Amino acid sequence: MLLYEIEGKAIFKSYGIPIPRGEKATTPEEAKEAAEKIGSEVVLKAQISSGGRGKAGVVKFAKTPDEAKALAGQLLGKEVKGETVKLLLVEEKINIAKELYLGITLDPELQKPVIIGCAEGGMDIEEVAEKHPEKIVKQPLEVLKPFKIHQANDFMRQLGFHGKQLVQAGKILYGLVRVYFDYDATTVEINPLVITGDNEIIAADSKLVVDDSSSYRHPDLPWERLNENLKPLEKEAKEAGFPFVLLENNGYIGIIGGGAGVGLATMDTIYHHGGIPANFLDTGGGVTRERMAKALEVVLKTPGVKGVIANLFGGINNCAIMAQGIVDVLEKHKVDIPIVVKMRGHHQEEGWKLLEKYNVPLIKYGSTDEAAELLMKLVRERSAGNVSLG
Amino acid sequence: MSVLVDENTKVVIQGITGKHGSHHTKLMLEYNAKVLAGVTPGKGGSEVYGVPVYDTVKEALEQHPDINASLIMVPPPGVLSAAEEAIENGIPLVVIVTEHVPVHDTLKIKWLAKEYGTIVIGPNTIGIISPGKSKVGIMPGYIYSQGNIGVISRSGTMTHEISSNLTYNGIGQSTCIGIGGDPVNGLTAVEALELFKDDDETKAIVLIGEIGGSNEELVAEYIEKTNYPKQVYAFIGGQLAPQGKRMGHAGAIVQKGKGTAASKMERLKKAGVKVAKTMDELVNMIKIDGYGKAETIQKHIS
Repeated sequence: MLLYEIEGKAIFKSYGIPIPRGEKATTPEEAKEAAEKIGSEVVLKAQISSGGRGKAGVVKFAKTPDEAKALAGQLLGKEVKGETVKLLLVEEKINIAKELYLGITLDPELQKPVIIGCAEGGMDIEEVAEKHPEKIVKQPLEVLKPFKIHQANDFMRQLGFHGKQLVQAGKILYGLVRVYFDYDATTVEINPLVITGDNEIIAADSKLVVDDSSSYRHPDLPWERLNENLKPLEKEAKEAGFPFVLLENNGYIGIIGGGAGVGLATMDTIYHHGGIPANFLDTGGGVTRERMAKALEVVLKTPGVKGVIANLFGGINNCAIMAQGIVDVLEKHKVDIPIVVKMRGHHQEEGWKLLEKYNVPLIKYGSTDEAAELLMKLVRERSAGNVSLG
Repeated sequence: MSVLVDENTKVVIQGITGKHGSHHTKLMLEYNAKVLAGVTPGKGGSEVYGVPVYDTVKEALEQHPDINASLIMVPPPGVLSAAEEAIENGIPLVVIVTEHVPVHDTLKIKWLAKEYGTIVIGPNTIGIISPGKSKVGIMPGYIYSQGNIGVISRSGTMTHEISSNLTYNGIGQSTCIGIGGDPVNGLTAVEALELFKDDDETKAIVLIGEIGGSNEELVAEYIEKTNYPKQVYAFIGGQLAPQGKRMGHAGAIVQKGKGTAASKMERLKKAGVKVAKTMDELVNMIKIDGYGKAETIQKHIS
């Protein structure tokens, strides 16, 4: 989960990383009051769960409190990437002498976190890395050894800091590394890290992405926000604990994969046989009869779905239980579109028997290609009809 | 031979008294895997399907010094501690089935294992099977069959899928390794390939990749660098996946055109890997090349 800038900055501050003076605002009046309190030119920054705010036009500068109020009126309620702006950060406009980049992220090749620094900040770091790799300073972090202040100083030295300012910069990196580990971050970034006209070093922005799998260790973070900007069906799937992605608008094949890998491959196979996937649902492990039914219901409810392929395995799951869940849906709803099930693994015989009883098209020993072919044939044969889940 | 797991593998199951732990103890015993002990702190003295349960790994090892592998099936918050216990007690092979382990915990496990020379498989894996010999994992044994193809996969269900298709086409497997679907894995795809290199029984290898990460690129590099002596086949899932969306696995995400299936397939081909566009094509390629007949096909055991 990407935290809001304002939340990331509050955490930075508590780890000794200087941030600009700022206030939050949820109404134009609050924005005006904040600007008055700050008493200088301000910047208004929309707090949303995605990046690229500058390009989206939701970062604005105001010279006076009244201007801040007017701009806040424009920003609040604005739609950005499917999200409504409800919160602003009103900050003092800082006097920028130089911008740098500082971040920590996981290097999949090294399988270690790496500190990444660049003496040029404020821009897309990936672009810099591609065009001018020589400008990037990288250093892996040892996960089993504590990070020391002298290491932080030596890293920041490579970005051009020295003397009194190096001590300041080293403290910032030291704090950032601690944030990275303490908050189970997958990425933490200061872009830009600003040297002000007064030679202060300050984090002008924050990007803190916390590993979703660590939520149980960070109960104070706003995890509920993960569900807020989802479409209703995505929300329903998420609440049931399934990774679920709505795909193409003109898609008409629902996909249930017994795992992420087989779901992805099933998606490819549907394309290969001339179909267009409408969604992708991964049952994962721990599938009960109820959860299997829920998975199928969510996929059936996807607008435009004319056929469903369920590519399931009894590995950690149980074929008999999954078949029961599928049959429950068939009993409960009038499903008038084909559902092809390919299923094998633990308790497959019981599962197969049950599905056969309900005349569910079934692939036992065949491949996913065969299942996709069968489904596409059935979909073509049937006159297009909408799903009714009555 | 085979790699990592065979008839001599003697397993302790950490988390044996849990729902999944006990169920898969039964299934492993049915597959003739040698499960010597289980560990659940606080449940010492009990039994699961005749397997004695101990409070600590150390205690299990005192009673069963032959143990040489651990299967970890505890909930995510307990995984780090369970893995540390196995590694620090000197068990050479640790398989972590659990999904949703915080990546910082996996990092600690991975690098602790390096210090001890332990091989960690996973997390978020179905484990390892050497068909007909033994398994340390949760895969349904009878859709696998003994033969000469080594299988390496990030995805558990794809391991089932490809291995069962091979099985139904009369092609057996030497060892199938699920390296796990997370961004950080214990054993990497390259290290798995390294293991298969010297295994007599493995004549060719199937790599099942997917979008995201850089596993496949590293494999290609390794094959070129070592002039890898065995034919590698590959299939990459997610060839038509949308960019910027996490597709189930935490590792399966395409960012700004990086880690796409197309770029991975291209890179692997350049290294001499036979890359299939579809799963059926993969099986056909192997069939045409005449690799490995399955020695035993176990069907209809449920």
